[in-house]
Amino acid sequence: MAMTLVEKILAKKAGKKFVKPDEIVEVSVDRAMIHDALGAHTIAKFRELGVKKVWDPAKIVVVLDHYVPNKDIDTAKKCLNIKKFIAEQGIENYYEVGKGGIAHQILVEKGHVMPGTILVGTDSHTTTSGVVGAFATGIGVDEMAAVFKTGRLWERVPGTIRINVEGKLVPPIMSKDLMLVILKRLGVSGALFKSLQFTGTTIGQMSVAGRMVLTNMAIESGATNGIIEPDERLVDFLKGRTGQPFEIVQSDRDAEYAETLEFRTDDIKEPMVAVPPKPSNAVGVTEVEGTRIDQAFIGSCTNGRLEDLRVAAKILKGRKVDKLTKVIVIPASQEILKGALEEGLVSIFVEAGAMVGPPTCGPCMEAHMGILGPGEVCISTANRNFQGRVGDVTAKIFLASPATVAASALRGKISDPREFFQEA
Amino acid sequence: MELKGRVWKFGKDVDTDELFAGRFIMGGDETSQSQYQEFIAKSGMSDVGQRENVPGDFLTGVAKGDIIVAEENFGIGSSRQQAAETLKYKGVQAVVADSIHRIFFRNFWNLGCPAIDLPGISMEFETGHEIMIDLRQGIIKNISKGREFGFRLIIPTWFIDMVEAGGLIPYHKSLQKSK
Repeated sequence: MAMTLVEKILAKKAGKKFVKPDEIVEVSVDRAMIHDALGAHTIAKFRELGVKKVWDPAKIVVVLDHYVPNKDIDTAKKCLNIKKFIAEQGIENYYEVGKGGIAHQILVEKGHVMPGTILVGTDSHTTTSGVVGAFATGIGVDEMAAVFKTGRLWERVPGTIRINVEGKLVPPIMSKDLMLVILKRLGVSGALFKSLQFTGTTIGQMSVAGRMVLTNMAIESGATNGIIEPDERLVDFLKGRTGQPFEIVQSDRDAEYAETLEFRTDDIKEPMVAVPPKPSNAVGVTEVEGTRIDQAFIGSCTNGRLEDLRVAAKILKGRKVDKLTKVIVIPASQEILKGALEEGLVSIFVEAGAMVGPPTCGPCMEAHMGILGPGEVCISTANRNFQGRVGDVTAKIFLASPATVAASALRGKISDPREFFQEA
Repeated sequence: MELKGRVWKFGKDVDTDELFAGRFIMGGDETSQSQYQEFIAKSGMSDVGQRENVPGDFLTGVAKGDIIVAEENFGIGSSRQQAAETLKYKGVQAVVADSIHRIFFRNFWNLGCPAIDLPGISMEFETGHEIMIDLRQGIIKNISKGREFGFRLIIPTWFIDMVEAGGLIPYHKSLQKSK
């Protein structure tokens, strides 16, 4: 019987020949990720279970990313508890401040997630790692404690919604603009208990970094996971990052999809902006052009990668950002920061008047950097613009691509990047 | 297993930032259950009153055993289990909604609290109605209106045993004991 990519992974990991949508399966987990935001909570729950040792320390990855460098005593204490735990359990895959970055970037960048495997993390954006053709999804801390004990997880097999995209994305239109268009069609609950599988020539032409925007924001449609079939480009990417052998799993040609949604890049006439308070509220940038902003943020697990910083730098080079606008650039990992330094991007940002931060989640959420006050407006490359997401409940967050955020940073108003891109 | 309670009617897309703001995630001493529960109960839903999808008097009025009936897409967003915990520790024993986001759905059940998705159910309830849920039979009753609705959950076979054990952690502990 034919199955989609996700169904095949879940069947294999459940030890079954065939699974179908909405069936409950119990699968073995290949990787489990905790971070500082929910790691200590997971550990407390694990200790409550009364088990001495985790099922397999080599399969656990621990990354400190949300509240680092620690912002106060509470966060420092939780990180200390995590450190004690990794020592006691013999967990080697640990990324201390200055050695890692944002978990979802690290999992892919350091080759922790292989095609055809299962990853769970205590973070909803764990879906990002689906970019390598893995089943990657978020869970809570009680469940992670149980995974630490058993190495197993139950899952409701998601039916697969195929998102097929054809055509070429013409800069400065980026994969972010495409994803905002996709989310507009799906809505924030359009894919509940479903999987999004991205296919088509546009995806094939896209860099791995660009694809990660799609799998990262798959969760914003309510989806269980987002996934992309591995191709040559992905295999080349992984080869430099892992010594492990891996097997490529693909959807069967006659697999049944819950639905297929077709998109054409020609239909994306202009850069997109998701207006608050939903990631699915996409409008063309010209519709909100001129909206005053207080902060512009380029970074996060959605858009803090080197190609994102290159695009932003292209727009900011030789120019100055608006005098009254807080412009914050945060590379998603140490590796990306190093690349940005070597390519001279950091100098461009600093000369333009932007603050460049250390690899951390930053003002994607109300963690500890770039928190918004009453009535403040932020344009951000991150993934959520819910009311109160990054601070005061009356603050507003607009989501856009690194190009659009960079252009907006220059004017202190939401701006169309095409103007600056042509000049460059 | 039967649950009975008083209804709070919520709107759609109640998200996890709204249920539990990021600024409180690192607060609370997770190694001390009583201190932690008190902190989580008090810190959640700090902006109610400025939200369209939650009744303004929810925080002052919620009592032990209450049940939320919500419109679509309840619990959209983050993995943060505190979003589910704050409802439990404020006294909410179950959530019924037109649809429920996957992570919240799992988190709430794991705390021993049923989350039931049934398209269209929100239209049948208003704040203050009396509701009864029979988990094993798959029946929701609006006692105030004398109406009954059937539901079928897509959950593992052991889930209701887990709720009866008090949640995922107590359930795992009971499995160890019976070994």
